[in-house]
Amino acid sequence: MALIELSGIEKIYPLGHQQVQAVQQLDLRIDKGEFTVLAGPSGSGKTTILNLIGALDRPTAGEITVAGVALNRVSSRQLADFRLRKIGFIFQAYNLIPVLTAAENAEFPLMLQGIDKKIRRRKVIELFAELGIAGLENRRPLDLSGGQQQRVAVARSLVAEPAVILADEPTANLDSQRSADLLNLMQRLNQDKGLTFVFSSHDPQVIQCARRVVSLLDGRLLTDQQVQQCTI
Amino acid sequence: MDDLRLAWKNLWRNRRRTLITLAAIAVSITLMQAAHNLSFGVYASMIDRGVRAGSGHLSIYRQGYLQDRDPKLGFNPQNLAAEISRLAGVESVLPRLYLPGLAQSSRDSRGILLTGTAPVEEYRINPFLRKLPATQMIREGNLRDALVGQRLFEELKLSFGGKFVVTLQGQEGELASELLRVRGIFTSGIKDIDRSLVLVDQHRAATMRGRPQQIHELAIILKPQADERWLLDQIGRLLKNHPQLILVGWQEAMANLADAIRLDYAAQKFIFLIIILIVTIGVINTLLMSVMERIPEFGVILALGAPSWRLQRMLLTEALLLGVIGMLLGSFGGSLATWYLRIEGLDLRYFVSSSLEFGGVVFDPIMRADWDLRWMLKMAFYVCGLALLAAWYPARKAGKISPAGAMRHY
Repeated sequence: MALIELSGIEKIYPLGHQQVQAVQQLDLRIDKGEFTVLAGPSGSGKTTILNLIGALDRPTAGEITVAGVALNRVSSRQLADFRLRKIGFIFQAYNLIPVLTAAENAEFPLMLQGIDKKIRRRKVIELFAELGIAGLENRRPLDLSGGQQQRVAVARSLVAEPAVILADEPTANLDSQRSADLLNLMQRLNQDKGLTFVFSSHDPQVIQCARRVVSLLDGRLLTDQQVQQCTI
Repeated sequence: MDDLRLAWKNLWRNRRRTLITLAAIAVSITLMQAAHNLSFGVYASMIDRGVRAGSGHLSIYRQGYLQDRDPKLGFNPQNLAAEISRLAGVESVLPRLYLPGLAQSSRDSRGILLTGTAPVEEYRINPFLRKLPATQMIREGNLRDALVGQRLFEELKLSFGGKFVVTLQGQEGELASELLRVRGIFTSGIKDIDRSLVLVDQHRAATMRGRPQQIHELAIILKPQADERWLLDQIGRLLKNHPQLILVGWQEAMANLADAIRLDYAAQKFIFLIIILIVTIGVINTLLMSVMERIPEFGVILALGAPSWRLQRMLLTEALLLGVIGMLLGSFGGSLATWYLRIEGLDLRYFVSSSLEFGGVVFDPIMRADWDLRWMLKMAFYVCGLALLAAWYPARKAGKISPAGAMRHY
């Protein structure tokens, strides 16, 4: 059984008196351990699909199953719990909470799970060392570079050991060197730990790095290609 | 604990705004506590002066006397005064007679209220008489000694030791006249009293009325910590054998004073209400601004798996912290202000030249506060609770945020 399964998905947003069809009749299966990128220009539906997989939004029609959970059939509270335990998010703008330190940001999902402070801090220190940001635990986001902030965001997405990590344009705010570093890091996590990554991007560097590229246009699936080797 | 730490950090995102809101809460509590305690002290002092010079904390009358003030409605207290004096919490029991009449000197005449009392006890209790020198006190056994109000003394053109005649109607309607001598003069500060009161020994007044054993009022003065409810019950039992007598509290016996205090405090409550309203709007504004500013961040928190009630709890915790800190600061300020106003007082002598009369009672122009700890606590917790209530709308708004929609604000 696929880790992520979208079948007959449609998403329509109201825009004033009009309606915008963001996703049309989409069928997609992603297996555990895949390193998939959703590629396409702005408005092609990449972020909408990530939001639907990540249970941030509900589809207008169709069925979504992620890690065995049929997202259409659960309550908002259950969706929140699903996000907490099954999904790790990495956002384009890092979206760290400015009043918290880097370590507090990273351990935030564990705090929501009610895990003891000492345990979560130990886990975050290990993760920071693994991600190359050891020693930055007590810095506030504003005192970190863009690359460092994004690594803290990666640590936050990994800390609860989710089934899927969803990354929305994760390199959009980084220069090419930092983008390459981040992609290498994610690849390593994918290969070493078997983590499932789903990206959205129109950055050729990211697209070249993926092992599966799902191309979208106007909310429709254009192509779905498997790539054997990462070319980065 | 995590929520509390997070709320604390969130509060200081916008330091200036939080400080202004805290100041508004604290200053409002300080103002309300200080104003209330000042009134509490002034009212207590007025009531104390009023009951000592007037009806007592509790008083006993013959039925109908309070309504009509008919001098014919007297009663014989028999052993009541002695029995009541023995009860715990009773400081003094004063028998009094009130007889309207006419005072005539060789130069003029005036309408008066002849008041018969137990002179020694009256001097001890009545604040108007406490400052009188011993040479001006009515001597026990000397039935012609009279204390005269300052204005009456002047209007009748009397002199110390001077004679004047008091005429009044006896129990059966006959006129009774008596020659009295001015032993002393007193000033209460209340024009009507100073112009009309003549104080004599109760036996002299009762004899003139034609009922030597009768009085009109038994004024009961209580000690500061007396259990008034228990005393009401005990005195009520003593009165079971006297069905024609009634026991009333000072609020009924001195309705003018009680009403004046009630009216004054109602006005103050209205001002408190306005202060609380302003503070509540301030807290709502602060929290609402804080919610609007953080909508994208709330989207992230929801995306990370926080249920919406967690966001609401976070905001309520912020409001609670605001309320508690404001409550502590405000109560500290209120205590400091009360302490100062209790020691130094608020001196009104610079603003008013004559004595201050309120509800038929003269009060000290140096207004002094007194501690009303229960009210202070109640008000502090009330404002703290209001801060929490003020967070309800912003929290509700935050609870309705959809994660995907909120993150689009980035």
